[in-house]
Amino acid sequence: MTKNPPIIKLDNASKTYFLGEEEVKAVVNVSLQIHKKEYISILGSSGSGKSTLMYLIGLLETPTSGKIYLNNKDISKMPDQELSKLRNEYVGFVFQSFNLINKFTILENVLLPTKYSKEKLNFSPQKKAKDLLKKFGIYDRKDFFPNKISGGQQQRTAIARALIMNPKIVLADEPTGNLDSKTGPEILKLIENLHKEFDTTIIMVTHEKNIADRAKKKIYIKDGQIADKYL
Amino acid sequence: MKPKNNLSNLLFTSFANFKRNKIRTLLTSLGIMIGVMSVVLLIALGLGLKNYLKQQFENLGSNLVMISPGNMFSDEGGAANFGAGMFGGIEFDEKDFKNLQKITEANYIVPLFFKSLTLKSDLEEISGYVEGVNEDFFPLMNFEFLAGKTFTKSDIQRKRKIAVLGFTVTEKLFQSPEKAIGKTIKISNQRFKVIGVIEKRGDNEQDNSAIVPYKSTFGNLNPDKTFFSIYLGVNSDENVLLVKEKAEKILLKRYEEDEFSVIEQTEMLSTVNQIFGIVNAILVAIGSISLIVGGIGIMNIMYATVTERTKEVGIRRAIGATEKDILNQFLSESVILSVFGGLMGLLLSALIVLIIRQFFPAAINLLSVAIAFGVSSFIGIFFGVFPARRAAKLPPIEAIRYE
Repeated sequence: MTKNPPIIKLDNASKTYFLGEEEVKAVVNVSLQIHKKEYISILGSSGSGKSTLMYLIGLLETPTSGKIYLNNKDISKMPDQELSKLRNEYVGFVFQSFNLINKFTILENVLLPTKYSKEKLNFSPQKKAKDLLKKFGIYDRKDFFPNKISGGQQQRTAIARALIMNPKIVLADEPTGNLDSKTGPEILKLIENLHKEFDTTIIMVTHEKNIADRAKKKIYIKDGQIADKYL
Repeated sequence: MKPKNNLSNLLFTSFANFKRNKIRTLLTSLGIMIGVMSVVLLIALGLGLKNYLKQQFENLGSNLVMISPGNMFSDEGGAANFGAGMFGGIEFDEKDFKNLQKITEANYIVPLFFKSLTLKSDLEEISGYVEGVNEDFFPLMNFEFLAGKTFTKSDIQRKRKIAVLGFTVTEKLFQSPEKAIGKTIKISNQRFKVIGVIEKRGDNEQDNSAIVPYKSTFGNLNPDKTFFSIYLGVNSDENVLLVKEKAEKILLKRYEEDEFSVIEQTEMLSTVNQIFGIVNAILVAIGSISLIVGGIGIMNIMYATVTERTKEVGIRRAIGATEKDILNQFLSESVILSVFGGLMGLLLSALIVLIIRQFFPAAINLLSVAIAFGVSSFIGIFFGVFPARRAAKLPPIEAIRYE
């Protein structure tokens, strides 16, 4: 067990959806703690509720019941305005399908989170964005539109976007799912380096055991519940 | 909060979207453009008509009191019976004319017979008007003579067949005022000798008229010996209301209160204003229909845009956009679309009005500009708010998974 206090704590958190009339229990009574600098993978098959759990951790959703704490502060019933601010400052998302906005250039995509900052930034967004693009070897693509570059380059852009606000947590949802066998491991390595270099907490959501195995801590999700913490 | 950054972000995103969908943007704005254009043009034409009529009344001079048949100012709110007054009811005769001559403060009293008919010279013929009046008509209306002279009281008593012509009649039948003098003009198969030509008045009826002694019309032209109207010229401004009262008193001996109207210029102008208030309101209402249709067009496109950009909304929410940020984004796009259309509409109608002005005093006033800006932004907000709210309320997870 890590000594430092948890950044995120889920206390009996559940999330229920309605698909038409049908009630879907996506996450059921999950309790877990995520600490600073941890590298965790959430492993589960398709439809197991692992993505919903990730969105709960990523402050994109509030639980139907139970509580979620960020730095010991209950955010379960927080209004959208404040929750969005925390999401902007604390969390960076990396998605399977990259989720870049096609009408913006690579540089504009990376800058986008800074546009939603409600506080004055203590860094120059332009410089930071360019530095990140240089670091990930795609600076020469900064004025390209996303559909004009390769999948690996798009995912690097997405990672740069996730990092621009200096988040405490990076959530990666199947980040290699749309990449070929050569690019996939490169991206994984890049994410793992972030963990080492920036002390960022990494939460990797995946259905592939060999990817999950790279993390120090694994959480196995089945039918919305934690099946075995240490698989 | 950083409002400046937010605004530039909103504008940046809006224009990025418009740039990607140029044709759609133009077509969406087109609806508002046509709407604003029709409202602005209709107001401009209404205003032009009002200016034109106002000018005509002002030409008559402020000391004019006009007696007409029918009740122009009914209890039901002003101008209701205006048409009836013009085209029906009682007609005045020589007895009324004589009775009104007792009003000492009226220095000019003019009986007016008026008829639309064909005016002929030996070679040409045009459709025009004949005005049967007395000698007071010329000083009362301040006519300047381009050639010849007026007729006299004795000309009237002797029922002489002589005529003073308006400018347009002269030009069309005789080319120039000088050539017209001494020539003959045929009015309803009666021959009148031209003795004078008056200046151009810019008034269609006056410029197309042959003015003849009223007694000369008795017979073929005016078998009942009646008058369409009687004009009184008052010797000073202060006596206008007194003359009006005296005239009413005299006429009430023969007619009922609602069978005639005695009006002076201020009243006429307020009637004109009343009529055009109503006309303008109707015109604006008609034009507004196209504005509403334009607004629905914007709403339709915005709903389509929200569906199309569901995933984008999800992405933005994931990186920290609040519901309000999303709402503002879509709202600003619909307002920009609408205001852009409004401005284009205003610009185009200004161009059209510039062209029309060569023939007609149409005008764009502050109200038109206010409508172009105000109504188009209101439409942008009103028709944009529903799609924008839908976008803002999209559950982030569903939005981000949307394909």
